[in-house]
Amino acid sequence: MTAAFIFLVLIAFLLVGMPVSIALGLTVLTVLFFLTDVPLDAVALKLFTGIESFELMCVPFFILAGNFMTHGGVAKRMIRFATAMTGHWPGGLGLAAVVACAIFAAVSGSSPATVVAIGSIMIPAMVSRGYPKSFGAGVVASSGALGILIPPSIVMVLYSVATAGMNVKGPNGERVHAASVDDLFMAGVIPGLVLAALLGLTTFWIAWSRGYPKTERQSWSERLAALADCGWGLALIVIVMGGIYGGIFTPTEAAAVSAVYAFIVAVYIYRDLPLSAVPRVLLASASMSAMLLYIITNAVLFSFLLTHEQIPQAIADWLVHQGFGKIAFLAVVNIVLLIAGCFMEPASVTLILAPILFPVAAALGIDPVHFGIIMVVNMEVGMLTPPVGLNLYVASGISRLGLTTMSRAVMPWLLTMLGFLMVVTYWPELSLALPRWLGMM
Amino acid sequence: MGEERAKAARILDHLEEIIIATLLAAATLLIFVAVAQRYGLSGVASVYRWSRVEDLPWLTSLAKSLFFAIASVRLTWAQELCIFMVVWMAKFGAAYGVRTGIHVGVDILVENLKGTSQRVLIVAGLLAGALFTVIIGTLGAQLVWHIYDTGQTSAVLELPMWLVYLAVPLGSYLMCYRFLEVAWHFWKTGERPHHDPGAVEGIEPVAGSEGAR
Repeated sequence: MTAAFIFLVLIAFLLVGMPVSIALGLTVLTVLFFLTDVPLDAVALKLFTGIESFELMCVPFFILAGNFMTHGGVAKRMIRFATAMTGHWPGGLGLAAVVACAIFAAVSGSSPATVVAIGSIMIPAMVSRGYPKSFGAGVVASSGALGILIPPSIVMVLYSVATAGMNVKGPNGERVHAASVDDLFMAGVIPGLVLAALLGLTTFWIAWSRGYPKTERQSWSERLAALADCGWGLALIVIVMGGIYGGIFTPTEAAAVSAVYAFIVAVYIYRDLPLSAVPRVLLASASMSAMLLYIITNAVLFSFLLTHEQIPQAIADWLVHQGFGKIAFLAVVNIVLLIAGCFMEPASVTLILAPILFPVAAALGIDPVHFGIIMVVNMEVGMLTPPVGLNLYVASGISRLGLTTMSRAVMPWLLTMLGFLMVVTYWPELSLALPRWLGMM
Repeated sequence: MGEERAKAARILDHLEEIIIATLLAAATLLIFVAVAQRYGLSGVASVYRWSRVEDLPWLTSLAKSLFFAIASVRLTWAQELCIFMVVWMAKFGAAYGVRTGIHVGVDILVENLKGTSQRVLIVAGLLAGALFTVIIGTLGAQLVWHIYDTGQTSAVLELPMWLVYLAVPLGSYLMCYRFLEVAWHFWKTGERPHHDPGAVEGIEPVAGSEGAR
């Protein structure tokens, strides 16, 4: 009863167009006012303690590092390398866009940023070589989604933070710990590479069957020169993944180090970013992070309310009692996440739904890390589905194609991604093999 | 009078921007320096051991004094201060975000309405934001008052906690002011700040390309 009331209020607030953070917070206040006996002091304290975790501090730092990279001509050099490697195949520039997105995703934690960085160069380049614009915009919009699957990934951090510290029980009553950021990052690597390969195959197949142009084959010396040229950018991947895996840094420290490193590379080594532009980059990053942290604060309040009313537990018990198995539950999860992803952006969906779904998943014996990867892949699809698909908006802004045309343009890759979602959902080893092999879990 | 007000508002705008950009830069540098110090220490320590084995007294004494110089700067508080700075940045940045329209919601219904009903719905949404932030600001102020009485201090830095928590009421009231400001402006002019996701990461539109906006 309370649960129905809570969700109805939230949906009503969301539908009238309030910001997600305000809708969450007002829902909590409304429910507290009318229904329950949570002391208001506890709520005020949560406002501060909600974002008082050192783990969470990596969100602003990764955003800052990504912004320096987006600005600093790193994308341009990665594109040169990718084009040198794949340009001579059918649809070569399309393949290069996929490869460049995958590499850029490994230094950036955000999908729209990846689309901006790669798309603003790649889409005009493809059009001038005689590719249809919808093909160019489609391939970049969909490959840009790799940004949140290939680590570092803001969405993974949010999932980890949203589920951390929950008192959750497994199928045999044992305590289940939430997934750590390190584990999630490692688990994202193989699915990320596989998805990149699948998107590349889709691109190749379309280009080959429609006879799209190729560029001349590059010599190995040109390829090596291009690789060396983007070496400073690629080193960031080593710093983040090597540093975290090697136990040299915590994820937050890795994020701060990569932000400083990206600043030095952009301003002093590549010199694509004037020092005078740095305050603007700082301000944009701070504002983006503050927006996310504000949603997090209110989402923490919301999940505090849910936990206090024992709603996730009730859902879990009910589902288990109904004889729902893993397979049926995961199918439902995918449908719910895909629908939610059509209307809200990934950060909000993750922060609202992870605390509700995670206890159920744990009760059914689904690994927390695997479940996180399933959520992330769903969010990737959500970025390509109208009416609210961030990548569609960004790519449509760059290519000047309407949203409807854009939605049709991404269709082939979207179908590939949906197929891939099935594989990720029902084949846990794809996600878990690498962190297990590295002895992380 | 009106000009004075406009000037004061501009100063507030600038102050807000400077505070959040500086806090982010400072927090990032702080963690970077703390990491550098940790590895600097162990690096100097290995130089010290190596120079002892190789019998290079000048290097030994150099490494020794360097070690103590680095170790004398204790950065155990870095983590705590970083959290406080980011929390302050987040509270004020959220207010800045209202001004730039970065807080988005589900706007499918609003976009499909026309005329007065759309206007009313948008203003209602903004006022709801003002209502929420003023309640939270007041709750936060009570919390600060309460903590001031207990004299609680932070774990490492021993800063008074009421000062740290002051970010909640200050940030929320500022945010409330911004919501009212945007609502008033919208009611009068029909314009509201719109955040362009394509410009999220602060990149310039590519000159001469199709992307030029």
